[in-house]
Amino acid sequence: MKEFMMIFIGADYTDLGLSPEELQGRMGKWFAWGDKMEKAGVLRGGNALTPDIRRIVGENRTVTDLTSAEVKELVGGYYLVAAKDFDAVQEIAQDFPDYDLGGTVEIREIMVFDK
Amino acid sequence: MEPKIIDHLFRHHSGKMISVLTRIFGLAHLEIIEDAVQDTFIKASISWRQQQPDHPEAWLTKAAKNRVLDIFRKLNTEKKHAPTIYQGTDTIAINELFLDTEIEDAQLRMIFTACHPKLDPKDRISFALKTVSGFSIKEISSALLTKEETIKKRLFRARKTIQQADLKFHIPQGKELSERLESVMEVLYLIFNEGFHSNKKEKLIREDLCGEAMRLCQMLLKNEHTRIPSSYALFALMCFHSARLDTKTSSENEVLDLKSQDRSQWHFPLIKLGNAMMNKAVADETTFSCYHYEAAIAAEHIRAARFEDTNWDKIVYWYQCLYTLQPMPSHLLTMAVICLQKEEAAKAKNYLDQITSDDFAQRAYLYYATLADYFNLINNKQEAIYYLDLALNTVTNILEKEYLEKKKLTLITGKS
Repeated sequence: MKEFMMIFIGADYTDLGLSPEELQGRMGKWFAWGDKMEKAGVLRGGNALTPDIRRIVGENRTVTDLTSAEVKELVGGYYLVAAKDFDAVQEIAQDFPDYDLGGTVEIREIMVFDK
Repeated sequence: MEPKIIDHLFRHHSGKMISVLTRIFGLAHLEIIEDAVQDTFIKASISWRQQQPDHPEAWLTKAAKNRVLDIFRKLNTEKKHAPTIYQGTDTIAINELFLDTEIEDAQLRMIFTACHPKLDPKDRISFALKTVSGFSIKEISSALLTKEETIKKRLFRARKTIQQADLKFHIPQGKELSERLESVMEVLYLIFNEGFHSNKKEKLIREDLCGEAMRLCQMLLKNEHTRIPSSYALFALMCFHSARLDTKTSSENEVLDLKSQDRSQWHFPLIKLGNAMMNKAVADETTFSCYHYEAAIAAEHIRAARFEDTNWDKIVYWYQCLYTLQPMPSHLLTMAVICLQKEEAAKAKNYLDQITSDDFAQRAYLYYATLADYFNLINNKQEAIYYLDLALNTVTNILEKEYLEKKKLTLITGKS
């Protein structure tokens, strides 16, 4: 079994003007997805990220503070899952709830160096 | 599955769910949270009638997660402040709080909240039993021998204090921790004593209260910050006492004193556990807490194979240590009683001279009865009868009264 990271990229809910009802519906789907992965025993962990960003760029170490509204492609969080290969993770990612909001799932394999 | 198991599953799970949800929504919404959790159990008991889920715990946790959405909805409808959800991924963070280790952390926060010094001492016990232990108001009222109305008032007052004082839902750190931990241990000690010392209650309720106090104390021992010598000592004390809980009453539910208990029925595994905990409590400590000495006294009783083998000198020594730390008149009286038992009149007198009937308020009869015993021992019958009469005038409990009257009769007739 290998470990993969599913990185979630998309816009901030608050900027999309979702109603509380829509928000709750979304959360319900996220919970259900988490439960499904847990039940399948593939979930290894995960974290959500707050929308505040501080960027340090370049030789001059230029610092910029950004809010979610200024960034279209915001990394919102990640899940770590155990799976055979990319195809298996792709299957898991089918249940990602936010494709219809233009959301993206990026799958990356965790590097293991002691082979 | 037997109903009783479900009972405890619900009870324990209730505390977990309320704690986790409070971590998400804050103490400000405690009432909404408690209602939501209550609702989950009602739903569970209905849907489980047909078929019980394979993993009831997991079922309930999932149900609690669904409650998160309900509570969000409710807070929004009532235009109350709800945590902001920025992205779907935020649910990952919420999910995380339902992991076992995080649940334990949340429960510990709830224990510290329930035992906060800002809360009235009486309210603390009721609030802890309700919020942390999942007791119903009815159960609390019968456990504490207090009217349901009074318990309701206490819970209401506790919630109000928490709002007004804007208490933080956290585990205190640094200097604050030791002081707050004192208060937590005191509440657990009181809950345990409610179960152990009250002889009026149903055996089941007594076991429930003692068991609950032990469960909460174990939570303290699981966390590295709250695992301290005195919390180990408190747990040891509870183990030693619990080991003889079954033998405290006869099959007719009569109270049996230490002398008449069947020592072969004491629960050995608990004694063993108590000893192990005691070893940890004294491992690298030079100063001892009240719990250390109380546990030492309990251990001394347990150590004696027969009542006659009790090492009273050792017990008086531990009481002396306890008294230095906690100068309560009742400890002096106890030491006097022990000395009388050993027929050491002078020593007993020394202790009795340090106390007066005022020290014992409604329980002054205990003091008078002990004085009577003292005068009886030094063959001053007149004084002995005088004090027995005083005791009889102040005693309210019927069983105690009968006992004292019998004693008086023996004194007068000279027959035993």
